[in-house]
Amino acid sequence: MPDLDPGKERASLERGGLALPSGEGRYGRRRWVVLGVGIVFLICAWRLGLTPAGLIPPDATRWERAGEFFKAALDPAMDYEDENVPDDADPIWIKGLKGVGLTLKFAFGAMSMAVPFALLLGFLGSSSWWPEPCGKGLKAVLRTLYLSCRFLMSLLRSIHELIWALLILSAIGVSPLAGMVALALPFSGTLGKVFSELIDEEARDAAAALKAIGHRPVQTFLCGTLPAALPNLITYSFYRFECALRSSAVLGFVGIETIGLYIELSHEEFYYREVWTYLYLLLALIVLVDFWGAGIRKRLNSDAGGCRA
Amino acid sequence: MNDRIVELRKRRSKSLYLRISGLLVLLGIAWAWTTSSPLMGRLSAERRWTNFQNFVQELVPSPVRRTGDWSDAFPWAWDLLTDEGLQALLTTLGIATAAIILSGVFVLPMLTLASRELSRRRPFGLWSGKSSRVMQAVRVVVGPVTRFAFVLARAVPEYILAFLLISLLGLQVWPLVLALAIHNFGILGRLWGEVVENAEPSSAQQALISGQGRTGAFATRILPESFNRFLIYFLYRWETCVKDATVLGMLGLLTLGKLIALSKGFFWDQMFFYVLLAASVIVIGDLFSTFLRRRLR
Repeated sequence: MPDLDPGKERASLERGGLALPSGEGRYGRRRWVVLGVGIVFLICAWRLGLTPAGLIPPDATRWERAGEFFKAALDPAMDYEDENVPDDADPIWIKGLKGVGLTLKFAFGAMSMAVPFALLLGFLGSSSWWPEPCGKGLKAVLRTLYLSCRFLMSLLRSIHELIWALLILSAIGVSPLAGMVALALPFSGTLGKVFSELIDEEARDAAAALKAIGHRPVQTFLCGTLPAALPNLITYSFYRFECALRSSAVLGFVGIETIGLYIELSHEEFYYREVWTYLYLLLALIVLVDFWGAGIRKRLNSDAGGCRA
Repeated sequence: MNDRIVELRKRRSKSLYLRISGLLVLLGIAWAWTTSSPLMGRLSAERRWTNFQNFVQELVPSPVRRTGDWSDAFPWAWDLLTDEGLQALLTTLGIATAAIILSGVFVLPMLTLASRELSRRRPFGLWSGKSSRVMQAVRVVVGPVTRFAFVLARAVPEYILAFLLISLLGLQVWPLVLALAIHNFGILGRLWGEVVENAEPSSAQQALISGQGRTGAFATRILPESFNRFLIYFLYRWETCVKDATVLGMLGLLTLGKLIALSKGFFWDQMFFYVLLAASVIVIGDLFSTFLRRRLR
């Protein structure tokens, strides 16, 4: 376990049951970290004007609305609250399920583009496959490729998917493909970065063995490094799929038809019970996929899910 | 040799669960691509192309468009930055920081309850005093319930949470902070929970044997020993929070997101400037936290 201060002797004494006066050495720096975090919080709260009074609804109408909103949670709509909905329209839970399906669809479409792209970026942005005795010219080319890939990945992921969506939708208009691309771009940046780290950190024994019997660098990579890193790559991709689901729901707020759009529209008309119906369906979907992912992680014996930037 | 390979292949571990999962994912992808029609929207190709060209032209800063001289862009950018940009930037950072600290503070005391080992009646299989029937029953459910609470908290996208909270609390900073804090409460709960599960148990076991309670064993043994891992995940989530806080401003508060949403449609050049500003903040935050995390590893 990495520590700020090794202080191993002290630790072993303590494990032996000896109580040592704390205050210096081992626990000193941690205390400063905790204190620093507290001070930073106070500064932020002061700058933003965060007071406990802000936590309660400011006026009577808001109080009433809050009450209604939480009451609606216990009583989600089974029928449209809107009277103008034609009789032959789908019942609300069918509409909700369709919205959830659309959310799922955007996530699948986006990930199917992001993962291959990220594999390419991650491969070019890692250095473990570079041939060992390497000519100067080749090295320069590889290095340029490496750096430009790293730069591209950080550019892609430092613009939020909603902003990508705004840009793309305004450039080429609303369409399913635009939504998928808007999700796929930042996700391939994040995935690519983590892929390259996973590939570089992967134990290189198998790769070294393959190289020793005369395989080429790319062969070594494809048959040695990649299979070893595969479980981690899969679990991480699946974790990002869970994130893609949430983001895809949010894309509804910029006009793409997912469950987020339904939530926004019903909320605008104060149909809180409808909002809760959609929310419950979304929650059910995400919790389900969360458990699905946990099952995959367990079976692949990998801890890469979610633990990385 | 070939037989050996065939035999090895037969003996490899197979999991029905994983195969079905793979199949489902493939089906999902096929479904997404075949049923999203019209894939490119209803506009004609020429129309899209002209839209795109107009859009790209509008991204050029307006003084440059007038004079054609790129040096005019600097005073323009400086004005945008000092007018509202900088303040929005600070608000964004403040919201992210306050939110992540808040969720950290609430997750820490929950970790003893969420830990698979510590929350049991016999933590690490060790005897830990007598307990009543009720407490025994509580011990059975408390772990799964806490973990499920984390799942629920992280299931709602922060943007939707913030949207709903704003309508209840009014347009102020709290809804954004709360939304981010709730969402990250779930995520930190999972990440920190994993740290606790993976922590070296021997010293916590000794603490329990020598009579400390579960909370004591967590607070005086597991927490200090894995302190750096806790910090690493904390910083990683802070980084993500900065990114999300930018966008939450699109709901109407003075963060970069609001400036982006306001200039959208009318002042594309301004919007693009704010987008780049937000991106650069995120890159800087990224570098800062990567640097710290490297040092902590």
